[in-house]
Amino acid sequence: MLKWFEQTEQKQPGIISSRIRLVRNWEQYPFPSKLTHLQSKEMIRRLEYGLRDLGEIDGKKYEYANLAELKELDRKALRERQVINSTIADSKEPTGIIISETEETSIVLNGTDHIRLQLLSGSLCLEELWKQANQLDDYINMRFPYAYDEKYGYLTSFPTNVGTGLRVSVVLHLPTLSQGKKFQGLVTEMSRFGAVIKGAFGESSENYGALYQVSNQKTLGVTEKEILDLVGKVTHQLLARERQVRKMALEKHGLECTDEAYKSYGVLKYARRLSAKEAMTYLSQLMSGTNDGIMTTRDPCSVYRLMLGIQPANLQKLSDRPLGKEELDVARAAYLRTELPELN
Amino acid sequence: MLCERCKIREANIQYTEVMNGVKTEHHFCAQCARELDFGPYSAIFDGDFPLGKLLSGLLGINEEEKEDKSSQVICPTCKTSYEEFVKDSCFGCPDCYGVFDLLISDNIRQLQGSDTHTGKHPKYHTEPAETAKVLPGAMDATGMEAASESLEERIQILKAKLLEALEREEYELAANCRDKINMLKMESNEEK
Repeated sequence: MLKWFEQTEQKQPGIISSRIRLVRNWEQYPFPSKLTHLQSKEMIRRLEYGLRDLGEIDGKKYEYANLAELKELDRKALRERQVINSTIADSKEPTGIIISETEETSIVLNGTDHIRLQLLSGSLCLEELWKQANQLDDYINMRFPYAYDEKYGYLTSFPTNVGTGLRVSVVLHLPTLSQGKKFQGLVTEMSRFGAVIKGAFGESSENYGALYQVSNQKTLGVTEKEILDLVGKVTHQLLARERQVRKMALEKHGLECTDEAYKSYGVLKYARRLSAKEAMTYLSQLMSGTNDGIMTTRDPCSVYRLMLGIQPANLQKLSDRPLGKEELDVARAAYLRTELPELN
Repeated sequence: MLCERCKIREANIQYTEVMNGVKTEHHFCAQCARELDFGPYSAIFDGDFPLGKLLSGLLGINEEEKEDKSSQVICPTCKTSYEEFVKDSCFGCPDCYGVFDLLISDNIRQLQGSDTHTGKHPKYHTEPAETAKVLPGAMDATGMEAASESLEERIQILKAKLLEALEREEYELAANCRDKINMLKMESNEEK
């Protein structure tokens, strides 16, 4: 079965993914930082046993794995694919994961909290994702009473998650808007409403590929619906502005936009060495080109799949051995030469 | 308006007193207010953290003691100390929230813009026996009217409610409690 990011059916242009993440703790145990090695193992076993029929509720096929037993590379690859976060990927403590075939639904057991439920989708469907998450949350809760307080709500290891334990995020492609001088001001303006906008890929302060993640900052004192509405509204606003400036760019500089898209395709198709930054930049331009209808591919193609495929850990998984920086750049170019679809 | 005591400086503190059901308003400058005795409320007029001082003033502990003691607060369930929490910003168990409640409430409000959950409630929740609040009786709204309680008990309950209200910055409710406490105190003096 194809993973969610490999699916190529027509999506809303500009939307890369939506995500719902809920953290919960089982009231019977201290939080993960205070669990002994044995307690962690015992708790994971009990949680896995209680959730062994998870597939019955949503008809999905789930795999149960021990993250600590996975190779470091596999954990890093899961992180690159947004299934787990870096804290969980680097953790040496016993950590369980229950993951659906498509990687759309996953539950991390004993990460920074006992239960970290996550739902991903390649389209903008926050309400639908919340509906599913809510249902799974009740299913888990029926078996494992949660640590909950009338004042603080769902209790979590970190006070940044307390209350609803809900983080809603959407990854957007904003190639034109993010180039503008006003973008930083827009980011600051949105933060006043409680929305955080940050680069989704890249190193240190640099963002590659013009992919931005919008998420809620607060988890306490707001209802789940308010959080969904906030992230949804900010997403729509950013998308509308992106379309507006993109339309202007196409009208005023049509030739430049077309040239940029085809040049990018050319580099990706024939280069012999590509850094992550270069590849992400050209893929971003290719994404704009196909979204704008400047170019069409012979077979349907998910550019985001290629963006994930060229990340270091996912790339190294394809070869049998760890790769140095130079080798990675060569492998990246080779991967893109093979995977890039033909143009019409 | 000038301070009614020194009549020199601008009055920036308004003090409302309710005595035998009669409300009188006073206007003082900060300096005179500091020199006057407002009982536990005096703490409000000195230092940079009036609310914290007021709370500790009402709780009957002075600032230095409080600082020493707060770093020594340890969660009995998971042994996380307040110092440890400040260092890692990470709680050790659900009980930590109750243990450190008074110490963290302000920080959580700063971080989250609120300290009260308004979202989903668990569908399946075992009511643990140990959900005793940090301030016993504070949530007991009916306790106030109960005839079985002595005046002293009612005053204690109201004091707890006052603390809770201050913590939540519900000053109107706090003032209400303060007035009721004063009235009950007068009643108790009359009885004597």
